[in-house]
Amino acid sequence: MSLDAVQVMSGQVKELKVSPSSNGDARGSWEGKEEFDPNQLELTTKPKPVTGRRARKVEGAVFFPKPENAVTVAVSSRVLFRTEREQKVFEQKGVEEYLRYQIEHENEPFAPGPAFPFVKALEVVNARLRELYPESEELFDIVLVTYNHAHVGIRLINTINHHNLFIERFCMTGGSSPIGYLKAWHTNLYLSADAEKVREALAEGIAAATMFMPEKLTEVSESQLRVAFDGDAVLFSDESECIFKTHGLDKFFEHEKENEDRLLDHGPLKGFLEVLGKLQKKFYAKGQRLDCPIRTYLVTARSAASSGIRALKTLRAWGLEIDEALFLAGAPKGPMLEKIRPHIYFDDQMFHVEGAAEMGTAAAHVPYGIAQKYNSQQKMSSGKTENSSFMTSPLTYRSSSRQIRYRPAGKLCSAYPEFTEPHMFSLPGASINRQ
Amino acid sequence: MVSTVTNSDVKQKDVDQAVVVAVTFAAVFGPEAEDGSTVYRLGAALPLLQRVNERLLEKNSAEHQLFDVILITTDSWQQQQSSSIINSTRHHGLEISRFCFSTEDNYVESLMQNNVQLFFTTDGNEALQATHQGVPSAMLDKNSVSCPSEQLRVLFCENAIIQPNMGSTEASKKSAQNFLAHLGQMRQKFGVSDSPLCFTLVTSHGGKDSCCCALKSLRSLGVSVDEAYCLGGAPRGPILSLLRPHFLLSDGFSLLEG
Repeated sequence: MSLDAVQVMSGQVKELKVSPSSNGDARGSWEGKEEFDPNQLELTTKPKPVTGRRARKVEGAVFFPKPENAVTVAVSSRVLFRTEREQKVFEQKGVEEYLRYQIEHENEPFAPGPAFPFVKALEVVNARLRELYPESEELFDIVLVTYNHAHVGIRLINTINHHNLFIERFCMTGGSSPIGYLKAWHTNLYLSADAEKVREALAEGIAAATMFMPEKLTEVSESQLRVAFDGDAVLFSDESECIFKTHGLDKFFEHEKENEDRLLDHGPLKGFLEVLGKLQKKFYAKGQRLDCPIRTYLVTARSAASSGIRALKTLRAWGLEIDEALFLAGAPKGPMLEKIRPHIYFDDQMFHVEGAAEMGTAAAHVPYGIAQKYNSQQKMSSGKTENSSFMTSPLTYRSSSRQIRYRPAGKLCSAYPEFTEPHMFSLPGASINRQ
Repeated sequence: MVSTVTNSDVKQKDVDQAVVVAVTFAAVFGPEAEDGSTVYRLGAALPLLQRVNERLLEKNSAEHQLFDVILITTDSWQQQQSSSIINSTRHHGLEISRFCFSTEDNYVESLMQNNVQLFFTTDGNEALQATHQGVPSAMLDKNSVSCPSEQLRVLFCENAIIQPNMGSTEASKKSAQNFLAHLGQMRQKFGVSDSPLCFTLVTSHGGKDSCCCALKSLRSLGVSVDEAYCLGGAPRGPILSLLRPHFLLSDGFSLLEG
């Protein structure tokens, strides 16, 4: 099959440059491509040979890394693709009708969902890793873990083929909990649309987050994976967060000053940052520090001059490097994230997740720690059963969760003059490069 | 010398429409008799088959497409326990319509004579032998047999679908497909949830495309799979231990290693 045919079929690809080293990724923009014309697409179920990618394929270790050696990222079908139409069918007409609908539309691929750019970026990193370390199994391994029934399987596989994704492993559990399978796959990160499943995964010690579909997704880099993390209750435990919520900002500052030299406890996503760091070191070892296709960011409401110090000391003690640390001292995170353009941003507070989503960042909510008590009090919908827990629009959380926020920077300036501007603090070795 | 005994306690099934399955002694009963009596302990496999029948009859009391279960002995020692076996069957009220008391030399023949469509055993060698002679066989997972479960869980491994029973004849391939079609029809009678039967597909090697092929082949035989796992070379053990299948349809039978 020629490259031209691929171009016509996907409709998303503006120009397809396949260099021998690429992992089959297309250079084109991913945003706003929700409409597709089914008549234009001629999908077969045969594998689409993509030159460049398959050319390097070898049976065995390189092609399929062992789960314990690879960095396994499990995504659910609802975050990888957009399935709102089908969700409506499920909610309104029940599971049998939903499955019938899926089978009927089997040859129509789904549109990309919020986790799609992230997964594509993982593949780019894999391509670079394979170039440098052709025998290594330390790659990203993407597994589709969904509690859909296998009836939807063919449509999902068709969609994966249509978008040229490199996903060769999946679990369709037909309604039973996927948590056991996550463990069997040595999952390092689990992304789902279902907060219940994510909570279960967190309880089992697996880094997990709920993703929401923003109204618009800004364009992100296609050559560099960018992952941004909140600090408290994401990388670190929520101990300081607790102080802030129960005793207020002043007590929080006091507490952090007193405990500056005591390490924070680790949070649910520390492990994922760790594995990202390991992969980064592989690039550094080959002299590619400046051109590293993985970049990590800390975006925290802590402030650089005081409470941020403890965060940095903790990271250093853990031996974790983070490329850029942004201490916002309470300023809204949305605009900063809009500049960074991460492929994914993890935060424990829905307020921040929404704020980020408003500006087009793919934000993921980590339902961990004390902030959840405040989030859940504002939950709008009720009566969700296990099967129908498709997430509601994040905007429903908006009006009520605004009550819980850090004081806006303006108000702080009278008492704490040094906190009027967000403090950006870059660690040595990294260049401040917003694009 | 094979003797076939009809169980008069049980209503005989419709010859044309019932799905004849043979289950070995070891698959039905536990290894030891209960406390010195002549009654054997019951394993979990048969009650599950019976449950499927019960549920099918609930849906339609005139249903004929049921499991017709035959108990078969596969060695001389077992053959000699015939009265204990019949006794135990009565004791537990099992829905076994016939007994075939054969030995290791002639059990395959008995299988064929009784038009057995699927042969259940806990012994890999027995399964292989039967397969080679054209009787589709399935291994009963010894571990799962002792786990309580509401559903009869059937696991399809890719080899059985794409190249069923390597080395066997056209006729036996046909009968394997026939059996799968029957299973598919039985499954169709129940809805998506709350079904006494659950079908799972596991493809170990090859990526999504071989899984897709397997799903389509099964669908063309009328079998709709509930769960699907594409392992892409990952070790099977951890996934199998989570799935807890009761019986596995595959060729090779080397898979219960972990």
